Amino acid sequence: MKTTSKWKLPLGVLAAMGIMAGTAVADDTTGLTDTTIKVGVMGPFSGNASSYSKAQIGEMAYYKMINDQGGVHGRKFELIEEDTACQPAKGIAAAKKLVSQDKVFMMHGNSCSGVAMAVKDIVVESGTPWIVAHAVNPNISMPPTPNVFHGVPAGPAYGYTMGKFVMSKPGTKNVVMVEHSNDWAKSYADPTRDYMKTKGVEPTMVLAMERGQTDATAQVLKIRQAKPDFIVASLYEAETVIFLKDLKKYGITDIPVMGAAGTDLENTLARIGDIDTVKNYYVPHAFIDTVDGPGMKKWNDMILKYYPGETITGFSYVSIGSAVAAVQALKNAGPDLTREKFIAELDKIKDFDTGIFATNITWSADDRHGVKESAVAGFVDGKPTVMKSWNQPM
Amino acid sequence: MLMQLTVSGLSQGAIYALIALSLTVVFRATTVVNFGHGDFVLGGAFGVYVLVVMLGLPFLPSAIAAIALMFACGILISRGFIDPIKAGPHIGFAMMSISLGYIFRGTTRSIWGREVLPMPRVFDIPPIFVGDLVITGDAMIISGTVAILLAGFFVVFYKTSIGKVIQAVYQSERGATLIGINVKRFHDMMWGAGLAMGAVAGILIAPISLLHPDLGAGFLIRGFAAMTLGGFGSLGGAVAGGLILGVTEQYAGAYINTALIDITSYLVILVVLVVRPSGLFGKRAVVRV
Repeated sequence: MKTTSKWKLPLGVLAAMGIMAGTAVADDTTGLTDTTIKVGVMGPFSGNASSYSKAQIGEMAYYKMINDQGGVHGRKFELIEEDTACQPAKGIAAAKKLVSQDKVFMMHGNSCSGVAMAVKDIVVESGTPWIVAHAVNPNISMPPTPNVFHGVPAGPAYGYTMGKFVMSKPGTKNVVMVEHSNDWAKSYADPTRDYMKTKGVEPTMVLAMERGQTDATAQVLKIRQAKPDFIVASLYEAETVIFLKDLKKYGITDIPVMGAAGTDLENTLARIGDIDTVKNYYVPHAFIDTVDGPGMKKWNDMILKYYPGETITGFSYVSIGSAVAAVQALKNAGPDLTREKFIAELDKIKDFDTGIFATNITWSADDRHGVKESAVAGFVDGKPTVMKSWNQPM
Repeated sequence: MLMQLTVSGLSQGAIYALIALSLTVVFRATTVVNFGHGDFVLGGAFGVYVLVVMLGLPFLPSAIAAIALMFACGILISRGFIDPIKAGPHIGFAMMSISLGYIFRGTTRSIWGREVLPMPRVFDIPPIFVGDLVITGDAMIISGTVAILLAGFFVVFYKTSIGKVIQAVYQSERGATLIGINVKRFHDMMWGAGLAMGAVAGILIAPISLLHPDLGAGFLIRGFAAMTLGGFGSLGGAVAGGLILGVTEQYAGAYINTALIDITSYLVILVVLVVRPSGLFGKRAVVRV
């Protein structure tokens, strides 16, 4: 078939654009100048999961603080925010824009596992270093790919923490598990079970409580008969409250309950409004201190300096630890920065104390789950307290 | 354990009964199955949340205002969205009710996000202990309120002239029109009554369940299951179906498997439609040929 002359120009332009796009993505110094490092920050800044974007606010506050300190090797961070609204379709558009149009050097952020999984192929193919700093689905960084790093405890890390804490209570033999029948609960419950199994303990009872249930009488009465030493509850926030209230209602106030990371102590107490009901409730807690604790003051001050009026919750800290590690890797990579050098330095991060995570970050080419466990928070004398293990405050 | 499960089941079932009855009231009057009802049930609760928690008003007047608001919403839906499509295919009613429910849910989501909101407990009645049996304040409030409401409803329905008018329209809209009853206004009132009764259910359950925009779907399916069990269109059947469903969920969860609690409604619908499609109290459809 003969191409007519009127099509030659547009086809030529298209071909040239294609070649240019290909070369832009492949460049190892994309997103770098002598004075700037472009960082793409994707997060749910709008929509019904927008509270998760506090994680990106905390991370950006940290980068802004580093900028005020002179940046890294004279380069300052240029942060490009992209809203995903926690929707995979929007996330894909955002990732393509950051990679192909904004041409960022690296990406850092991502709440919402669904979005992270949806954009994974795009980011991996582009070769852009990507630090996933909030989404917990372990498959985002497993199996390892050359440019993806997980900078927050993934589901198995929390599950491991839950199991370890439960088994750290002396004499724990009889454990009842209550959980939703979904992947979210499974990602906590399965590693918990696996850890308990290593200590020779199998759950004596596994009870279902589905989302939207407004009563836990059947579950609680079964628990009352089983008389467990510990209850593991992998439940969303609302069901956690219903479950804890029903435990109290039927007189079960002395059996400790280990919750999943989807809940936190302060909010659970606020929703129940009664310390007696939550006094034996424990949750995984990734940080060195509670929101109001002295250990978090410097981080709170930092966030409020750059985002005055921001309401600080546990989500605000989630991405800061991996930002600290990223800055360290950039420093170690030296002034002649390339993506390859940056990735190599990230892989050299070993047992790195971020000053905010309760446990250190270790990355390697074989294992990109940087944070392997978490601390646990519970009420001690009515005050939220971070613990290493049963009765062992940090 | 059996007694405890029964008490708890009846308390839950009272809520289901109210929701099923409110669905039935609209269905009997208009033949519309309101697929958005679960979301409207929460409308009353969100109304109370705004008035009590955000504006600091006292509970009782706030609850009455929220119920009145949902009554007005019902009239608005009837006049603004159902009446104009009356001449269209029946499926249009279902599509309309689904759309209205989702719009309501989307609106609440856009305001409150996925936040799980605590509702204040207004009447903090201490539980009663009878041996091992615990009768909680919530169970007493829910059961008592629903019992009073249902008693009032059935007295009005069967013993007053208003009830006679309602029954007349239920039996024959054409006949009712011929004797001078304004059927269009009657439909408005029934939509209003349905949403107001649903709002009461939402207000009663929200302090226990907490409040979030996605809670309504579970109530809707339980309302449908109670309707099916009691018999489509049977007012008394809807109430009985709700109570039986509440208790069945508890028994199934405790004596068979807790995973059954969530699917009891679906099982009930399935079994009833196969074994006894007219439900416990519904009239068998007779077609003269």
